[in-house]
Amino acid sequence: MMEIKRWLHKLTFSEKSIAPLIVFRILFGIMMFFSTLRFILKGWVYDLYIEPTYFFSYLGFDWVKPFDLYGTSLLFGLLLLSTIFIALGLFYRISAIVFFICFTYIELIDKTNYLNHYYFISLIAFLLMFLPANKECSLDAYFGFTAKQKKVQAWTINILKFQMGVVYVFAGISKINYAWLFEAQPLRNWLKHQTDLPIIGELMQYEFTAYLFSWGGALFDLFIVFVLINNRFRVYGYALVILFHGLTAAMFPIGVFPYVMIVSTLIFFSPNFHENIIAWIQRRIVNKSQNTSKSEIKTPVKNKRVTGALLGIYIFIQLLLPVRYLAYPGDLFWTEQGYRFSWRVMLIEKAGYAQFFIHHPENGMKKRIDNKEYLTPQQEKMMSTQPDMILQFAHHLRDEYSDTLIIEPNGAKIKIKEPKVTAEVYVSLFNKGSRLFIDPKVNLSKIDRGFHHKDWILRNEK
Amino acid sequence: MSEMVKNQSYARIRNVFFFGLVVLLSFSCRKKGCMDENATNYDADAEVADNATCTYEPFEKTQMLTNICDNYIIPAYTNFNEKNIALSNSVSGFSSNPTTDAFESLKESWKEALLSWQQVCFLDFGPAAFVILNNQLNLHPVDTDVINNNISLGVYNLEQADNNDAKGYQALDYLLHQPGMTSEDHVTYFTTNANAMTYLTDVIDNINYWSNYILSEWTGSYQESFKSNSSSESNAQGSSISNLVNGLCYHYESIIRKGKVGLPLGAFNGFSQQEMPDLVECYYHQESLPFIVESINAVNKYINGASYNTGENGLGLDDYMNYVGATQNSNSLSSVINNQIDEIIEKVGQLNDPLSNEIVVNKPAVTEAYSALQQLVPYLKVDMTSALGVMITYQDNDGD
Repeated sequence: MMEIKRWLHKLTFSEKSIAPLIVFRILFGIMMFFSTLRFILKGWVYDLYIEPTYFFSYLGFDWVKPFDLYGTSLLFGLLLLSTIFIALGLFYRISAIVFFICFTYIELIDKTNYLNHYYFISLIAFLLMFLPANKECSLDAYFGFTAKQKKVQAWTINILKFQMGVVYVFAGISKINYAWLFEAQPLRNWLKHQTDLPIIGELMQYEFTAYLFSWGGALFDLFIVFVLINNRFRVYGYALVILFHGLTAAMFPIGVFPYVMIVSTLIFFSPNFHENIIAWIQRRIVNKSQNTSKSEIKTPVKNKRVTGALLGIYIFIQLLLPVRYLAYPGDLFWTEQGYRFSWRVMLIEKAGYAQFFIHHPENGMKKRIDNKEYLTPQQEKMMSTQPDMILQFAHHLRDEYSDTLIIEPNGAKIKIKEPKVTAEVYVSLFNKGSRLFIDPKVNLSKIDRGFHHKDWILRNEK
Repeated sequence: MSEMVKNQSYARIRNVFFFGLVVLLSFSCRKKGCMDENATNYDADAEVADNATCTYEPFEKTQMLTNICDNYIIPAYTNFNEKNIALSNSVSGFSSNPTTDAFESLKESWKEALLSWQQVCFLDFGPAAFVILNNQLNLHPVDTDVINNNISLGVYNLEQADNNDAKGYQALDYLLHQPGMTSEDHVTYFTTNANAMTYLTDVIDNINYWSNYILSEWTGSYQESFKSNSSSESNAQGSSISNLVNGLCYHYESIIRKGKVGLPLGAFNGFSQQEMPDLVECYYHQESLPFIVESINAVNKYINGASYNTGENGLGLDDYMNYVGATQNSNSLSSVINNQIDEIIEKVGQLNDPLSNEIVVNKPAVTEAYSALQQLVPYLKVDMTSALGVMITYQDNDGD
């Protein structure tokens, strides 16, 4: 017991070189600069945040709304600016806070755009707000806005390693399921379209390749962190990291994610490695700092307790979120209850088609809704397979039609107080054929949003 | 550790080992092999499926695209262009010698040209999508007021988008079949109204302009990029297969299913679902069904990779679906889609023209045909697109 305590204490409060943290900050800033720039240049700001008229907000975050064109442009401008400041280490603390707030705000606007790697970036940005990543090789230190520091408490680096570990290990655990391991799904479907890939395309015609990639991917995710921790095998581990993410980048349209991971895993390298990088940078940039470096850090005991407790809470939440799906009955891949924020990456192949109906208050007439009137193609696609989004859209339709007087082309007047909304949704999981997804009779306008089980999702008949 | 415990654990390990051996042996007695019929090493005698050993012919996407392009798209567009040239010749014949016979042959040419459009309308991507070819050629309903106004003014610009519903085949539908007028009346109308004759010619010239545009785009640079652009990234946005499938799905859902039947039937008309018969295609000609049937048959040929001219089966989307082993309720997806198309043809075949009248007097039958058309939408949009790894999206995005 005492040993565990001592070990934890060492992991948290022992003194470590600040170098890994500094390199992480610089690379993170540069990477985010390019990925934000890419996002803007691709015109996605307009496509995703200006063009849609309706946004799928997260439960509890309904107050997060997009701004108009100017407001949103300003938000992205601020985001871009903050990435430069983070890389340079100028007004670091404020920049990190601005980055976290802008980035997370943008992600919270519409769950259509949810990606695990955006969530990852939000978490890293959150952590960076608390880390002394500007105490060296930064303009803050150069100008004397902050005292220089050669050493930091170990937790400031270990929490980043922990976060990387959570991403990989949970991604690995989520691959331990029947479809992934024994049917090689969904890779088997995806790889079949890759026979024209250069060099490795030939391999894709063999069913064996799909199994190889599935098992290889699962093992990689499960164990890579442990390889990276190990001093002896780290270099081989990192070669695997480059190979694995390089392959996924070549094969799937997953944007910057592979590069984010290739760069971020550098945190596992030794302080020496990072100190060399810093020395290399400093050799190229004149660095005559006025203030002398302090190598000591003195933290009062009381502060240690608070730090320890806060770290504990953060770690606990990170470990809990990915397993919350266990609280729901049914097939996770079908119902997607507790699916997000759990590092389930490229696990399912799902497509859907949803037809909504507004019912006449008196007779059995119902009006077909054309989703395109309300949603962008991307939103419609994401909504069609995810029950919480189906419900949200149904509620949006309910609100649109509540307390309205509709005059039909044939002159009939229909007064609607609160309309009944139903939906006929067909979903295909792993290409096994489309089948009815939710109860087509259930009045969705009467169902509350929330974290409770959605019993109106039909079972996935095998 | 005491000696006894040690021995015990040895015994246990031995037991587990033997158990494993027995299990392995019992499996190997039954013949293992690949039991997937689509595989090259399909083993008919196998008793135990060991599908991890299956090997498949690599699917030649470029071959499929080449087949579709060379044997369907280009011949179909060539035919389309020929029919429009014939239409153009008919109208010159009619204007130089306005007889009833010339008028009848003009109507015949119009019908032929519109039928040939049905065979290419769903190629709604690339150059066709770029100019929204459907709106240039076959928007309905037409605005007869705008048409008549254009004629009486004699000044108009058919290239402007606000004239889209006053030109194309549907404008001709109106001009050549004006309500309450016989063929003789039409001949008189065009001979006494020079503006009308000019307008008729201009509309047909405009159609020819577009059919010429689309054919030269395809025989020109687009062809090569279409055949080759099927590179990696799982048929992602921008690849030819993604374009082709998205174009087909969009056109089938919005223009064929909804435009040709759903809208006039009233399926999208609020709560009352009141019929809107005047929205049918070729409302004035009083004959809509042949055009619907033609478009469905053409979609069928196109999906199956059949040759436009000979109908001979080639490498098509159906083979691609078979290659990836796509199923729908344990039937092969390609056969499910083909059956559904057969059903559509059958249900539409039970209807009588004029469709605008049938919708009112025989609504249940039209509703049945519509349901058959509707059922194909998820098969194409959900099953086919996901089987082919095509992202149903009209905008570029990251995934994970």
